[in-house]
Amino acid sequence: MARPHAVWRWLLIPVLAVPLGWLLFTGLGRDPRLIPSPLVGQPLPALTGTTLGNEPFTTASLAGRPAVINVWASWCAPCVDEHPLLLDVARRHGDELQLVGLVYHDTPEAARSFLAEYGDGGWPDLADPSDRIALELGVTGPPETFFVDASGIVRYRHIGPLTAEVLAEQLAALGVDT
Amino acid sequence: MRRLTPLATVALLGLGVLLALQLSRPSAPIEPTEQAAQLAAELRCPDCQSLSVAESRTATADAIRRDIAEQLAAGRTPDQIRQHFVARYGKWILLQPADPLIWLLPVGALLLGVAAFILWVRRAPTPVEAGEPPASDEDRRRVRDELEALDG
Repeated sequence: MARPHAVWRWLLIPVLAVPLGWLLFTGLGRDPRLIPSPLVGQPLPALTGTTLGNEPFTTASLAGRPAVINVWASWCAPCVDEHPLLLDVARRHGDELQLVGLVYHDTPEAARSFLAEYGDGGWPDLADPSDRIALELGVTGPPETFFVDASGIVRYRHIGPLTAEVLAEQLAALGVDT
Repeated sequence: MRRLTPLATVALLGLGVLLALQLSRPSAPIEPTEQAAQLAAELRCPDCQSLSVAESRTATADAIRRDIAEQLAAGRTPDQIRQHFVARYGKWILLQPADPLIWLLPVGALLLGVAAFILWVRRAPTPVEAGEPPASDEDRRRVRDELEALDG
């Protein structure tokens, strides 16, 4: 009489343990800092602003070329680390793609002295004194980089300092010969 | 089960009323700064861990707070502002899940647990195992023989 009951009891263990284990296993493997951007797969929003050189800039000028939009600030230490990589991209692929900087939560003066110290690659850097442009992109904080393809679709958003590997992989995905 | 049904009904009704009250709670205070603070408390700070925009002092939280105040001043509704940030940051930015089904899940789990408990309590107790069969004459004789053998 008690036998079918015992069978249920044995079934209960895998029934509870398997989903729980799966949940913990997949949950722990996930990086909570990786926030998927709803912009990926969508057209880049039209952004307009003024560069550090006091010239007007609009993302409409990017049409037809892949773009790399890098969010940075003079107060951001990892931005110093990734800066040489961006200079390298500008030097090697400047004619294939457009680099755009977005100065985040910073003053134009501090941003200019950052460039003076660590190297100015000559690409437009948008000053964003009210952080309006950054919020439009859903920026979480510098450094952050958006990869936009030639048709203006955001293909990837990288949070944190760029690495040579990420750059190579994403530039290749944009069709830039690396 | 029949005896407990009215109690269960009352409990269910009570839960339903609480849920309805919770869902229909007015969520629009009059003061704009208060409204901005409330909205900021509903949004997750993008550049910190487990803090709302209202609690955090990071650059992004600061920018979002300013943006909320500007949008409210421009006459946008709290819902429009929430949607504005969801479109840019994803549902991730909402600290409270927007799907009402999520809120019913714990209630459902609780009801299931209560139902299981009631079933368990009301189940007829398993009959006590019938005792040992009475010792036969043969057994008594063997015990007596063994004892005698021990006494020597």
